[in-house]
Amino acid sequence: MQVTREKQDRAESSPQTVAEAPFPTEKGRSAGQIAIEMTRKVAPDEARAVKARAENLSFFYASVQALKSVSIEIRDKQVTALIGPSGCGKSTFLRCFNRMHDLTPETRYAGRVMLYPDEIDLVSRKVDPIEVRMRIGMVFQKPNPFPKSIFENVAYGLRVRGMRAKVLVEEEVEKALRGAALWDEVKDRLNSSGLSLSGGQQQRLCIARALATNPEILLFDEPTSALDPIATARIEELISELRDKVTVIIVTHNMQQAARVSDYTAFMYLGELIEFDETSQLFTNPSKKATEDYITGRYG
Amino acid sequence: MPEPTEGHTHRDYDGALSRLRLRVLEMGGLVSDQVTAAVRALLEYDRAAAEQVLLRERQINEYDTEIEAETFRLLARRAPVATDLRTVLAISRAVTDLERAGDESKKIARFALATAERMASDPSVPVHTHLRHMAELASRMMRHAVDALDRADASAAHEVARMDKELDQEFETALRRLMTVAMEHSRVIRATIDTVFALKSLERIGDHAKNVAEHVVFLVSGNDVRHAHAVLGPAAGQRH
Repeated sequence: MQVTREKQDRAESSPQTVAEAPFPTEKGRSAGQIAIEMTRKVAPDEARAVKARAENLSFFYASVQALKSVSIEIRDKQVTALIGPSGCGKSTFLRCFNRMHDLTPETRYAGRVMLYPDEIDLVSRKVDPIEVRMRIGMVFQKPNPFPKSIFENVAYGLRVRGMRAKVLVEEEVEKALRGAALWDEVKDRLNSSGLSLSGGQQQRLCIARALATNPEILLFDEPTSALDPIATARIEELISELRDKVTVIIVTHNMQQAARVSDYTAFMYLGELIEFDETSQLFTNPSKKATEDYITGRYG
Repeated sequence: MPEPTEGHTHRDYDGALSRLRLRVLEMGGLVSDQVTAAVRALLEYDRAAAEQVLLRERQINEYDTEIEAETFRLLARRAPVATDLRTVLAISRAVTDLERAGDESKKIARFALATAERMASDPSVPVHTHLRHMAELASRMMRHAVDALDRADASAAHEVARMDKELDQEFETALRRLMTVAMEHSRVIRATIDTVFALKSLERIGDHAKNVAEHVVFLVSGNDVRHAHAVLGPAAGQRH
């Protein structure tokens, strides 16, 4: 804080630069910026490729507009969390990425959701939703394994893809189960029913099932809200590990969960994207008052 | 859909945060009083007043312990984020500075006790004006800084940084004066050195007040300006 009078005068005479960086250092960066750069888990923005980009995406359930021109960039091999109160549109938004809404009558998309590097518009009518779902997996709130064996649950997606060779399927199933941190617990009973597993194990089985087809993006819709704290911690740990292989988008009601597992966080309210930033920034110093009110619990 | 509310949905969370604020405010008031009381005891050779300062020092330590325990509990139970997190951290840091400022007042009070013994040969008389002025300034800075913390007012914090410069200048002037005294009266060297320590304590109290002000800037803007050699511009700390 020790500065010469002359420096102070300079600051006062150029209010614009002061407003941008109230406490510039010699290099023109504020101490806060430097701190954030030092602590961030991820490389600076420009270093990460964009995996998907929503462009002015709106969505309608019949005449009700659930999403209002949402634009956002999803970074490759990073975890992006969507938070906001019930009814804010976060699940609706998530479901656009793998065309889940196609199953509901009288729904309509406007705008685009581009997938990179292929530059495919995921919500375009010309794009086959089945193909989209192969490339973009989803894990739901309640574990929903098929009433089949553990092995078959994971092998199913591979068979749909046309994989027939037994050895190859076995190899891929093991890889997916390992990827979902479930292999050690089930390797001796692969033929037991998927429904015989505990809730947390079932959820990891569903993650393995989604991983088996090597998706590019994995969508999680409140994946731990039906699980106890220990099973929740294991899923959260798993999500952190998945970051190496796949891009993750997660909807969660648990704000601390978003703070724990994600690299980026989007706050949505009334169908609009209010704020999108690095998680470390959004949870320490959000730029919008609405975000602040929501994450600090001044809401209700 | 729910709307933003005045305070937290959990009302007792609001209560815990405002209790914390109130305690720091009380502690800051006490520390500020200690500074003036210690220097008055020194200047007026008042043993009883000096002992009173030493006694009250314990209360400051109690505040320190209590507030730190409360912030610790609050972090564990509420997992605060954003403004709440910055408030709790700023308060926790400010308390450390207040406690240390309290210690500096204690040093001055001890010196006051010693000086009261040897009243006849007090070499500090030529710098009495400086001591009085510095004590006044340091005490005011402390009050200002704690008030800025309570109101989350960054511009008031900048005022404290400005006052610190004035305090530092006063310290330099007083030192020069004392050097002349020391050269002329070599037999009062010990007492002169003690006087230097008293002046230094006041200067340190000013630094602690400035630290509290920096915690306020952090609380308001999220910027850590402690080591930034920052320019205190008029818009600093404004967010929206």
